[in-house]
Amino acid sequence: MKPARWSLTARLTALYTLVASLVMAGLGVLVSVAVNRHFIELDRDYLADKIRLVQQIAGEAPSAPVLADRLDAVLASHQGLFIELRHGDVPVYGAEAAVFANAPALPGPDQDPLDWPVGERTLRGQAASTPAPAALGGGHTLQLRIALDTVHHSHFMGALHRSLALYLLGALLVSGLLGWWAARRGLQPLRLMKERASAVTAQKLDQRMPVAAVPVEFADLAASLNAMLARLQDDVERLQAFSSDLAHELRTPINNLLTQTQVSLAQPRTPREYQEILASNAEEFQRLARMVSDMLFLAKTEHGLELPRRERIDLREAVQSLFDFYDAVAEERQIGLALRGEASVTGDRLMARRAVSNLLSNALRHAPAGSTVAVELSADHDAVCLCVVNGGPGIDAALLPRLFDRFFRADKSRQHGEAEGTGLGLSITQAIMAAHGGRVTVQSAPGRTVFCLLFPADTAS
Amino acid sequence: MKILIVEDEPKAGDYLRQGLREAGFTVELVHNGVDGLHLALGGDHDLLILDVMLPGLDGWSILRRLRAQGRTVPVLFLTARDAVEDRVQGLELGADDYLVKPFSFAELLARVRTILRRGRSTLEATSIRVADLELDLLRRRVTRAGRRIDLTAKEFGLLELLMRRHGEVLPRSLIASQVWDVNFDSDTNVIEVAMRRLRAKVDDGFETRLIQTVRGMGYVLEAPEGPR
Repeated sequence: MKPARWSLTARLTALYTLVASLVMAGLGVLVSVAVNRHFIELDRDYLADKIRLVQQIAGEAPSAPVLADRLDAVLASHQGLFIELRHGDVPVYGAEAAVFANAPALPGPDQDPLDWPVGERTLRGQAASTPAPAALGGGHTLQLRIALDTVHHSHFMGALHRSLALYLLGALLVSGLLGWWAARRGLQPLRLMKERASAVTAQKLDQRMPVAAVPVEFADLAASLNAMLARLQDDVERLQAFSSDLAHELRTPINNLLTQTQVSLAQPRTPREYQEILASNAEEFQRLARMVSDMLFLAKTEHGLELPRRERIDLREAVQSLFDFYDAVAEERQIGLALRGEASVTGDRLMARRAVSNLLSNALRHAPAGSTVAVELSADHDAVCLCVVNGGPGIDAALLPRLFDRFFRADKSRQHGEAEGTGLGLSITQAIMAAHGGRVTVQSAPGRTVFCLLFPADTAS
Repeated sequence: MKILIVEDEPKAGDYLRQGLREAGFTVELVHNGVDGLHLALGGDHDLLILDVMLPGLDGWSILRRLRAQGRTVPVLFLTARDAVEDRVQGLELGADDYLVKPFSFAELLARVRTILRRGRSTLEATSIRVADLELDLLRRRVTRAGRRIDLTAKEFGLLELLMRRHGEVLPRSLIASQVWDVNFDSDTNVIEVAMRRLRAKVDDGFETRLIQTVRGMGYVLEAPEGPR
């Protein structure tokens, strides 16, 4: 079962109405309990008053018939009052009313009266004793039970309950409306943010949420959204820069190919010449193909790709096998290769080797003859480190931050020979390290340039 | 050797057909998946080269139906997409190899020959001989015209690859992958230097040069009068 999707306004309104109704219902219960209590106290006073009256009449009555007459007179002037006098089991007065037949043991005048039902009525009564009048022999006491019909209270309570219920209903409607209005007003800043957000497009990424203008509760959200927008803007700008770089990088070789091909076609040439031209074209095409596949690799890697395979990589072994690969080139340039230390990480073997290979290839290209390119492996508690150290003039400090940009070449004057890379090597190394949760750093001073691959320690094994 | 190409891009298909014909294969070319499956089911091809994206019936489906019919003909896929899932799917379906466009024709040719050579293992030779160059695989020793040539382990591996596949143009990427296990785009200069050094040891001081550079393609080792 999927829970119903309520709008925030509806939720707030419902909650507000619920709270208001609970508060008002509580108030209603309180009022009706208090009123009821008040009636009990009134009745107690009334009954106490009547008990005193009966006692007075009983004390003064000269004879039993006079007592009965006077009590009849009292009952006649007090609607709903019942009196019974007994002497032990012998009824003295009022036994014919029979309302006390199933009465519980009634409390005395200093206690709250008790209620009991008689037919459809509810009676409320007390008991007391009164000295028997001298006319009846005197010297003993009579038991007095007195009761009051509570029908007028129940009429009043019924009316009170009805009006309380009506009021509650009306108040609920009003508070619901007020709640809805308040929620809408309270959520106004969200609508403002929504409008800002919908104004953001790829062309207008500079729009930001008004952090200062929204309530404090939204300020964090607005700030996070702004941070997200800033990242998006940064990404889009880099993507745009990349696209234009790409167009530029592709334009040059395509232009070369087109010119060369058209010039060759302009007049007949010998097969040998054609062969030369086609071979040269093939080389240029291969460079283009490599660039495209490098860019695809970058795009995939930067898309936060999951490492296809994670396995334990002995870095020493990996570097050693790459040394075998670069051995001939190093020897020809009279550059020594040295490997120090030991370390291993978990990651994608192919990608890790590619990252190291790019650094080695760069180091060999820039190290002067007679020097040594060294790879140093080390591990401490927070990182596994692979550093490639080479000599040479070093890299201009101003260029260091841009070194990992795509297509960035520190040496602008260099012609792109076939052996020249695509200008994506360091970007690829960086992307590979990012995919491993690590990073690549560079330090350069005249005579010593160090590139380090830092794998996070949790990949160490 | 008969090869069926199913490729919907006409220019690419024509060039593949021409290239493979000139390399000595019998080639059939069709441009859509339905014809491709029909021909593959009815024919006796030694290899299928399938484009993945095809009108009518895609490459995966052709392969699936062929395997369902019990056909074991080897299949090489060509694709413009290099997604890991694609590669995995292809291999799970029983594809023999997988090339991502753009690829070099030399690479394709080398892979085609590798596939066709598979499963036809002749007796493991203990030595290979091309012209007056002899490679003794047991003693890891190289002689040319009776003269001993000293090679490093990697140089020996490189020469072994060239000699085992003599007469074939081997692209640099294939060499890097086979000899150094470098299966990614790398500094191609490295192969050039290694090749130059090997050539200096093998060819310098002899009248005929066995190792040749084919510009724009790769390297080939062959006896001058041998068939190309």
